[in-house]
Amino acid sequence: MKRECSSISELLDKYFDQEVTPEERSLVEDHLPSCPACRSALLSMGNLRNLIKSPVEEAVERENFPWVWEKIERGIQQEEKLGLWESVWSWLDMISLRKKKILIPAVAAVVILILITAPLLYEKMSSYPVLSVVEYVESDTYNVMIYEREAPQVTVIWLFEGPDEEPLTS
Amino acid sequence: MRRKAYFFVILVFLLSPFLGGVAFAQVQVRVRVMEASNAGSGFDSSLRDLHDQLGSLFSFSSYRLLKDETVSLSLNQPVSLPIPPERSLELTFINQNRVTAEIRVKITRSGRDLLTTLVRLAPGRSVSIGGPNPKRGEGTIITALSRPKTIQE
Repeated sequence: MKRECSSISELLDKYFDQEVTPEERSLVEDHLPSCPACRSALLSMGNLRNLIKSPVEEAVERENFPWVWEKIERGIQQEEKLGLWESVWSWLDMISLRKKKILIPAVAAVVILILITAPLLYEKMSSYPVLSVVEYVESDTYNVMIYEREAPQVTVIWLFEGPDEEPLTS
Repeated sequence: MRRKAYFFVILVFLLSPFLGGVAFAQVQVRVRVMEASNAGSGFDSSLRDLHDQLGSLFSFSSYRLLKDETVSLSLNQPVSLPIPPERSLELTFINQNRVTAEIRVKITRSGRDLLTTLVRLAPGRSVSIGGPNPKRGEGTIITALSRPKTIQE
């Protein structure tokens, strides 16, 4: 009997916290009616919990834990101060592209798209931006006149024998 | 490490069209020499683009092709070719700004400089050098320099 009480008392804490298995529960509940010591121990546990619970709950209701919020805000701010690459990678980590089966085809598609569009864009950006095609002209023999027209694009350097000569313009 | 490798490969792919433009090992320049006159009418079919341009500016009725040659120019390496009438044309690829090539053009006759100029040629753009005006019964010589319309030479 004493041995049984000893083994049951080891289960009392778990029983009180409702963490016992069904077998352990029936074992304890069969034992309790016949053991005043275990009943008393269980009652003490209940009293002790009630004794602690009320003041703690009152303290929690009064307290808003400002230090906890400060800590959370600090954590958020540190996360916001990520570097550019870290931000990019953390973004990639968050999306499903991170999985290799999607990431590699996605990157390949973007690269192909850029390779196709970049030359077109480059050519468009590089379309002739300035009117002047002729940087300079030097001639000791002739007088020189430069014609430039944008539509149609025409640039002509015309040589003259003398100052009185006129070009054959239409 | 693998992430850096990915980024490097992507970066090279992205910059490849631009790197090609920066390298500019060579540029091609088409040289066409023609005789423009008012004797007769018509023009060679290979001068169609120039006829449209020059026709808006000059009153010549006839354009006859005398020479058509495409030369590849390397940086700072002059290329000379004879052009009618008994002149020499020297082209030197000086510099490239994006797709626009700076080319120094020198025309000489019997070793004497007739004309030196620096022109900026973008793909599809042409520069014509002509004159002096023809005497009676003669045509005037026009030398047209142009670059093919391609991104990479």
